Amino acid sequence: MTGEPDPSEEVTSDASASSENQLPSVDILEIEPVYEALGHPRRRYLCYTLLEDTEWSLSDLATKIAAWENDVPEHEVTENHHEGVYVSLYHAHVPKLVDEGVITFGEATETITTAEHAEQVMTALEGIGASLDANQETHARSEMDEQED
Amino acid sequence: MSKKTDEGIMDGDDPTSGADTHWSQVAQRHYEPNGRGELTTAIVYAIAEGNGVSPTEVKSPPLYKCVDAAALEDAFFGPDVAGDSRQGVGTVEFQYTNYLVEIRSDGWIQVYEPTEADLS
Repeated sequence: MTGEPDPSEEVTSDASASSENQLPSVDILEIEPVYEALGHPRRRYLCYTLLEDTEWSLSDLATKIAAWENDVPEHEVTENHHEGVYVSLYHAHVPKLVDEGVITFGEATETITTAEHAEQVMTALEGIGASLDANQETHARSEMDEQED
Repeated sequence: MSKKTDEGIMDGDDPTSGADTHWSQVAQRHYEPNGRGELTTAIVYAIAEGNGVSPTEVKSPPLYKCVDAAALEDAFFGPDVAGDSRQGVGTVEFQYTNYLVEIRSDGWIQVYEPTEADLS
């Protein structure tokens, strides 16, 4: 360390406006993880449901997705198909979305909630989804069928 | 690759080395790439069968932590190229808890568990 700064030293800047304010924050997700998160129909469906409600039980999600895939009302989803979707969510899609910071997963309650990157993924989804994927979005955002069998 | 240290590693004997481990098959399952199910699901079902539990009871760890099943699915059963399947030939092995899982490009999934050492 050598003394004080020289008061005669001129600070030159080639831009009068601070460019730092225009850079996106480091918290902004790169676009690749967004597409990675949305790169499978079951993950897209899951993200659509989060637009409607920010908390879901894994079992309910599996029921909704199975209903969507089989084009049947929720109360007609068979145990087998529910189990298959549940397993794929638990072992593949949910951990991936947790990895990308889109959702958090409560192990004990098996509940999914939104995480810090959810908003960016939702924004992308609303942008691309509205026109291309409207049926899935509508189904995902519809009320659970309450009918008991 | 992160590697958790096993508790209770015996002197000079790495239980995961495989050299002295004998495996016996406990389950097998055929994965149909064109069906509704995913490879992840088929693998978990095979492990559950080998373990004698229901697939929803196979919990920890998520398969995602052990193997990238989506990448395997693409590699072995991926989209057809110009209408022809790739006809790839290969096998991938990984460990899930104490099971050895082998996935073949023909769709067969085999699950093995280590056989008890013969203490005679």
